Amino acid sequence: MLSRLFGCFILQLNRIRLFAGLPLDVVSGGSVNQFRAISAGLKALKLLGLEGVELPIWWGVVEHESMGKYNWSGYLTIAEMVRKAGLKLNVTLCFHTSSQPKIPLPEWVLDIGKTKSNIFFKDRAGKPYRGCLSLAVDELAVLNGKTPMEVYQDFCESFKSTFSAFIGSTITVGITMGLGPDGELRYPSHRGFAKSDTVPGAGEFQCYDKNMLHLLKQHAEACGKPKWGLGGPHNAPAYSELPTANTFFKDHGGSWESPYGDFFLSWYSSQLIAHGDRLLSLASSVFSDSAVNIFGKVPLMHSWHGTRSHPSELTAGFYNTATRKGYEEVAEMFARNSCKIILPGMDQSDKYQLKESLSSPESLLAEIGTACNKYGVRISGQNSTVGAPDGLKQIKKNMLSENLNDSFIFQRIGAQFFAPEHFPLFVEFVRKLNQPELHSGNLPTKEGNTTAIDSVHTRSNLSIHMQSA
Amino acid sequence: MAAVTIDSLLQNPTLLFRPKAKVLLKPPRSLDCSRNRKLPLSRGSCLCSFNPRRTIHVVRASSSETALIGNFDISSSDDILYKDIFPVKRIEKVEGKFFIRLDRSKDQHDWQLTVGCSLPGKWILHWGVSYLGDSGSEWDQPPKGMRPPGSIPIKDYAIETPLKKLSEGDIFHEVKIDFNPISEIAAIHFVLKDEETGAWYQHRGMDFKVPLVDYLEDDGNIVGAKRGFGVWSGAVTGQYRIMSQVAYFQVIYRIPSEPTLGDVGALQQFSNVLLKSEASHADSQNNSIESKDSKNKNRCLEGFYEEQSIVKEVSVGNLVSVAVRKSPETGKVIVCLETDIPGDVVVHWGVCRDDAKIWEIPAAPYPPETTVFKNKALRTLLQPKATGNRSGALFTLDEEHFGFLFVLKLDDNTWLKFKEDDFYVPLLGTSSVPGQYGQSDSTSEEISSKSYTDGIINEIRNLVSGLSSEKTQKTKKKEVQESILQEIEQLAAEAYSIFRSSITTVPEEVVSETETTKPAVKISSGTGTGFEILCQGFNWESHKSRRWYMELKEKASEISSLGFTVIWLPPPTESVSPEGYMPKDLYNLNSRYGTIDELKELVKSLHEVGMKVLGDVVLNHRCAHFKNQNGVWNIFGGRLNWDDRAVVADDPHFQGRGNKSSGDNFHAAPNIDHSQEFVRKDLKEWLGWLREEIGYDGWRLDFVRGFWGGYVKDYLEASGPYFAVGEYWDSLSYTYGEMDHNQDSHRQRIVDWINATNGTAGAFDVTTKGILHSALERCEYWRLSDQKGKPPGVVGWWPSRAVTFIENHDTGSTQGHWRFPGGKEMQGYAYILTHPGTPAVFYDHIFSHHRSEIASLISVRNRNGIHCRSLVKIVKAERDVYAAIIDEKVAMKIGPGYYEPPSGSQIWSLALEGRDYKEGCRPSLIILFASAIVVPFFTQKYIGVID
Repeated sequence: MLSRLFGCFILQLNRIRLFAGLPLDVVSGGSVNQFRAISAGLKALKLLGLEGVELPIWWGVVEHESMGKYNWSGYLTIAEMVRKAGLKLNVTLCFHTSSQPKIPLPEWVLDIGKTKSNIFFKDRAGKPYRGCLSLAVDELAVLNGKTPMEVYQDFCESFKSTFSAFIGSTITVGITMGLGPDGELRYPSHRGFAKSDTVPGAGEFQCYDKNMLHLLKQHAEACGKPKWGLGGPHNAPAYSELPTANTFFKDHGGSWESPYGDFFLSWYSSQLIAHGDRLLSLASSVFSDSAVNIFGKVPLMHSWHGTRSHPSELTAGFYNTATRKGYEEVAEMFARNSCKIILPGMDQSDKYQLKESLSSPESLLAEIGTACNKYGVRISGQNSTVGAPDGLKQIKKNMLSENLNDSFIFQRIGAQFFAPEHFPLFVEFVRKLNQPELHSGNLPTKEGNTTAIDSVHTRSNLSIHMQSA
Repeated sequence: MAAVTIDSLLQNPTLLFRPKAKVLLKPPRSLDCSRNRKLPLSRGSCLCSFNPRRTIHVVRASSSETALIGNFDISSSDDILYKDIFPVKRIEKVEGKFFIRLDRSKDQHDWQLTVGCSLPGKWILHWGVSYLGDSGSEWDQPPKGMRPPGSIPIKDYAIETPLKKLSEGDIFHEVKIDFNPISEIAAIHFVLKDEETGAWYQHRGMDFKVPLVDYLEDDGNIVGAKRGFGVWSGAVTGQYRIMSQVAYFQVIYRIPSEPTLGDVGALQQFSNVLLKSEASHADSQNNSIESKDSKNKNRCLEGFYEEQSIVKEVSVGNLVSVAVRKSPETGKVIVCLETDIPGDVVVHWGVCRDDAKIWEIPAAPYPPETTVFKNKALRTLLQPKATGNRSGALFTLDEEHFGFLFVLKLDDNTWLKFKEDDFYVPLLGTSSVPGQYGQSDSTSEEISSKSYTDGIINEIRNLVSGLSSEKTQKTKKKEVQESILQEIEQLAAEAYSIFRSSITTVPEEVVSETETTKPAVKISSGTGTGFEILCQGFNWESHKSRRWYMELKEKASEISSLGFTVIWLPPPTESVSPEGYMPKDLYNLNSRYGTIDELKELVKSLHEVGMKVLGDVVLNHRCAHFKNQNGVWNIFGGRLNWDDRAVVADDPHFQGRGNKSSGDNFHAAPNIDHSQEFVRKDLKEWLGWLREEIGYDGWRLDFVRGFWGGYVKDYLEASGPYFAVGEYWDSLSYTYGEMDHNQDSHRQRIVDWINATNGTAGAFDVTTKGILHSALERCEYWRLSDQKGKPPGVVGWWPSRAVTFIENHDTGSTQGHWRFPGGKEMQGYAYILTHPGTPAVFYDHIFSHHRSEIASLISVRNRNGIHCRSLVKIVKAERDVYAAIIDEKVAMKIGPGYYEPPSGSQIWSLALEGRDYKEGCRPSLIILFASAIVVPFFTQKYIGVID
């Protein structure tokens, strides 16, 4: 039968399921914002053939007032809307904050933080990062007698029971577990917004809160090098300084290659992986009896990837250098928990990077992809929050490559997304996804001018300013 | 062979354009047309299709269907894991009779013509008369007394009268026309129209003609054929078959959504329907039903009765219902399939393991009457059920299967499929959530709508993958796809406007608001970027200097700096009239406006200042170079040396040998027959040449009332313009000289045309202009809101395709056919330049004392990013004031009345005010824009004005 022949072909092309992220502030308080726009948007996405949408659910919104008091009502409304629209839902549980739009941590957590600033990550200057809790307190009873892990677990359990009617049907695609700053498995090594026109710095190690320092000290003592446990590397540059500003990241003979460097970086990265392991195994066990996949997001720290020491990756907690395949440990941890990995930055291509930053998103992506494939971890993609020129083209390229084999979540719905400057491009993108070059080449070119969408020309300098995730 | 053709024109008068198509849909109306078939049926040969929509509502629509459901319910609804009803459609030939009878009415004084048809359908007799002494084939309106009740006059030459069943039990729909033989009527002409399908039943390409008098000159011819009923005589029956599958196909796709914008065009595209007559006729000369008696040249009518068999292919709605339940004893899954399709139905089926839906043969046991087909599928003959005319089968399957796939085979050539794909019934997953499906009505409905959209999505996917093997299928799918894309576009625009309005203003954005943004994204020929502002770059006098191109070139940068993005140039071809609207040699571009080289130079300068250029192309008519043998001008010369086949047949002045016009006729020149392939090919080439040679970016299409919009679509697709707008100008509705408030029928005609072009072109919003006339001139500002609180013109229904204007070279300038009320121009511009749609400004107004105000309005429009799809909220439409807020950013009022925008969260700044001194001190127009920044100076000024 004809459809049989097509079956395989379509399968091959459609293997990537496409999602779009809902606005970060789609729910505030207990209600849905811009209900009508969301509703029209969902219909449009459905007609366009998207598999579903991603819904960020914020700790700071649901458990806003006091510990254990959850308000899911707005999110339930959204889930219902999504179900009615015939779309699937991919939920992201966000235990972090958003700066634009502003979504803080729960009020009661911030209250605790006022007196105990050591529940937050701190940099060398002692400045706390209030975007999420420090991984060092994961198992310390710092939140009204409970550990953050317990609080996260209660949150997940409450989510599971509240959304039981959706889990397995509307929410079949997955639940993404927030793992750190911006939901990503990393240290907040870069603070503030990265500007696209300036060379990003190396970032800073974040091992200076009391509890991290304590862990470091213990570890150093256990290794028989107590002097190494007194603090982070003294010769690492500050946030916005270039890697070359100091000697730690020096390409040749930098401290990173020294035994101390290896000691510190091993510890620093293993803490991060252990944190990820804790959260993902928590999620896996909570949702073990539900037919959902658990996802975790790993950042694409692509600046300075062209150096030997990969400073941005090191400060973010990935001990990945020219001589060490650091992502294998990460992939192994995901595989252990049967979780899938989300990689953002699929829209970034090498040619639009600032030359000075020695950045290479494409090769980093390939590197992580290789590690994941080695451990059989499925990869879901996202575009970066800052946007990129020719981003859709790059996304398509990635979707046809091995770097992406599960789904793609386009970030994110909103005014920019539906704007006449952007939406037709997106429609074009979706339509072209299933149309290999081979076919488009066969079509008479004049047909291309018949519809609104067909006639859109991709602007080479298009830059999508998406809200931050 | 007698050839009978059905004319095109699938104009469906019931079709109303709705600006926002819903995703949930109405029940398919075609379900009605198949019930109670008393007539012999034979199965259509090739085309069946599946209606993608499934809802339980449909099921409730008729008793037999309820029974189908009921059957499942017997097995305790708790067991049912999945239940679905697939309405399916088949084409069935329905044979019926069609008769014409002429006899004396009861009083033996008057005569009566009866036309009847036994086929189900909504039959309309479209008829007219000819009077003694008339020549040619034009019809006239019959006298009032002759028109049966329920008749509707169509233009000035025809009447439409519905055929009715006299009583419920009647087989025939009939219409009776009484007439007095002493009248001056020479003949009654008619064609039969089926409103349901839009098909026209004609008589060998002509109308049926019943002569009521004989002509002397006919006498000689008729001798020997005394009773000239060649066509109708005795046993010879012609069989009229409508080959309307293609059009039908479109109908199916249309059913799911409410009429969306693109698909009517699609419908019409296929409406050049052929009607073949299978029977041969003894007398092929006759094209009229003539009751002739040579001896009696006076009106000695003789009654007659003739009957024809007529075959219509109708779409028949049937249902296939599927229920999946789990056997509590064996743990196996049982698929129960039933249908009310009559006759032997074979289910060609298999199972699949995953989403790839690859067919496999499951393990035995199989239902009775099952055979294996080429190791790929199973074939099971459905067994008739004890009750009703239904058949069904039970399939017992192992639990691990993912889905059940099937298609239905009705006979060797007839397959019923799920659109182009297999029917699919999910098996897996159902068991994990027992009871979820079919639990409640609402659940079922949602599932239904979901599977509907899934169907559409699959459709898009198939399309996008470019996998359809047949080109025709591709075309059809493309139509569907485009209408979906349009719907997506609308939804996105809606979402965008709401999202955007709620963006909190941050300082950076305020800065950007002051810049004029011109998105460089091309969207479509119907809208340009959506942010276009059009300048009509000439008036009725422009040809007089003979160097208009050069004069305009001087002004290019000035016009561009006012904010215009598109300029419309005068018709460039050689023309019999100096203004250019009577084109002769299309390839000769030396005109009264200048030479071809000057034109190129002008276009180049306009491009240099960033404007797009529209060429004014006259496609409706063309002046001939030579006379034919009768001395009629209908032979063309020049590069396009067409003969009289290129001229429409129904304008007697020009004796064209083409087909009838697909639109209204322009009587001053031969109207081009666009149904001719060679004509279209030549015109496409010409448009391509204009694009290439001159550099035109798009078109202003003259007199598009004259031919079918589907041809325009063809031309636009071939020439790929950046922007195109058509002039569809006809009269608004008036009652006793006063304009009606409701101009829906007027704008419907324009929207219909845009629809026929499939949205590839916009149209001038004549409706809005007309309503503005009355509203401003008579101080009746309430006219500016329709019953639904939307703008009353085309702009209220299809803003993105409405090109709003208040004046052009015909209505104003030195012709003044329909001049905008004097002194009210700025109110008119305040309206169109703040509202959605694409506004067009007339040259005379730009270069007048209005110039600076127009420039301010354009700048407000650009600064606030108002575009052709902006949202307009009418706040006041009262006797003396109209006020609206556009995109929640710009507030405007016109009229002497008072209006103040809500103070609330927005701070309004004054952009422009105008004063009409006759109306006292209150400004006649005020335009404000929302600003997040407090600008005390403006605010104070504004408050001062209002007080």
